[in-house]
Amino acid sequence: MATPAVLAVLALVLAGPASYALGLLPVLRRTPRAAMVLWQAVALAAVLAALGAGLSLGTERGMGAHGAGSYAVALVALLATVTVLARLLLSGHLVGTRLRRLRRRHRDLLDLLADVDSRSEELRVLHAGAPMAYCVPAVTGSRVVVSEATLGRLGAVELDAVMAHERAHLRARHDLVLEAFTVLHEAFPAVVTSRRALAEVRLLVEVLADRAARHRVGTRPLVRALSELAGASPPEAALGATHGIGERLAVLLDERPHRLQAGLVFALAAAVLLVPTALVVAPWLAQVM
Amino acid sequence: MPHRNRAAFGDLERAVLDVMWGSEDDPRPQEDWLSVREVHAAVEEHRTAAYTTVMTVLDRLAAKGVIERSKEGRTNRYRASDSRGAMTAELMRDAMADLVDSDRRSALVAFVGDATDEERTALREALAELDRREG
Repeated sequence: MATPAVLAVLALVLAGPASYALGLLPVLRRTPRAAMVLWQAVALAAVLAALGAGLSLGTERGMGAHGAGSYAVALVALLATVTVLARLLLSGHLVGTRLRRLRRRHRDLLDLLADVDSRSEELRVLHAGAPMAYCVPAVTGSRVVVSEATLGRLGAVELDAVMAHERAHLRARHDLVLEAFTVLHEAFPAVVTSRRALAEVRLLVEVLADRAARHRVGTRPLVRALSELAGASPPEAALGATHGIGERLAVLLDERPHRLQAGLVFALAAAVLLVPTALVVAPWLAQVM
Repeated sequence: MPHRNRAAFGDLERAVLDVMWGSEDDPRPQEDWLSVREVHAAVEEHRTAAYTTVMTVLDRLAAKGVIERSKEGRTNRYRASDSRGAMTAELMRDAMADLVDSDRRSALVAFVGDATDEERTALREALAELDRREG
């Protein structure tokens, strides 16, 4: 009976206080893979609960008592669901199109302007004096880009660290995770936690890529590469904002495995998705059928 | 050249652009408009390419905005939109702007972006500590 209300409250709790609390737990970053799964589980569960709340209210009122008022409530509920869904789909379309266009354009120009490095097929070198390293994600033909200044500053091992870091981004399709959270944020920009979630997930993908690089070359070359390539931020842009480097360092310097925490966080992620399904959605479905 | 591009035209596109830009020792003035025939002749100094293929490549480059086309009577003439250095600088600026986007909507993924003074200090201290421990 209370399915719609439970799901609505669940959606609000997950999108609000739960996400807020996750953002206040930097300790989660010690187990970045599990933390990433948890963030995704919470976001997915919040969206599903929001959609489910409207749907269940619509079917409950629509199929139950047959007064005109019930139909009106059912209609409003379904409209709310459709609105949430439409915002998500529109945002997904806009973000996806924009990112694909920017990346294709960037890659076209790279292929005309940058040289392929003999060390690696996917490595491109730009003739430029500013040190930088980044990747252009794509389904096929992603690129890792460094400038000549970068090559000048890094030794072979440090370059390996950069390549391992960027390849980890590309291999794990971190761009897709970031895209999903960007879609969520742009669909519901007023939900403050959607911005926090995006910021935290951005940090987590860096932490994960750092781990991959550390696994390959060790901590010292990676920290040296970070130190060489971290640019000085313009003072006016600072405004107390940091760039997550302290957080990345903290995780990097911590070599302990934290298996128990990882297990607990994975279990929590599973619970966030499974418990509402089992306790709320399944009985409602059985009732409807 | 030891590279293989996603597009079949990739190598030829670079060769045509090299013609437009000239060599480093002998850069071509940007106001030099070249006909397809002239581009084709210059490309053929280094490799074989069909005249029609060069035409297609010029179309592709114009569509990408890296060269400009002007019609003189029935002849199309082409020149680079900008020097190699200027285009590279612009690409870098685009990348930088994308990577420090405060709205976090980046299309690219950086190894590391800007850092505050405190963060740079933290990196140096961590490095010194690691050097001391492992050194």
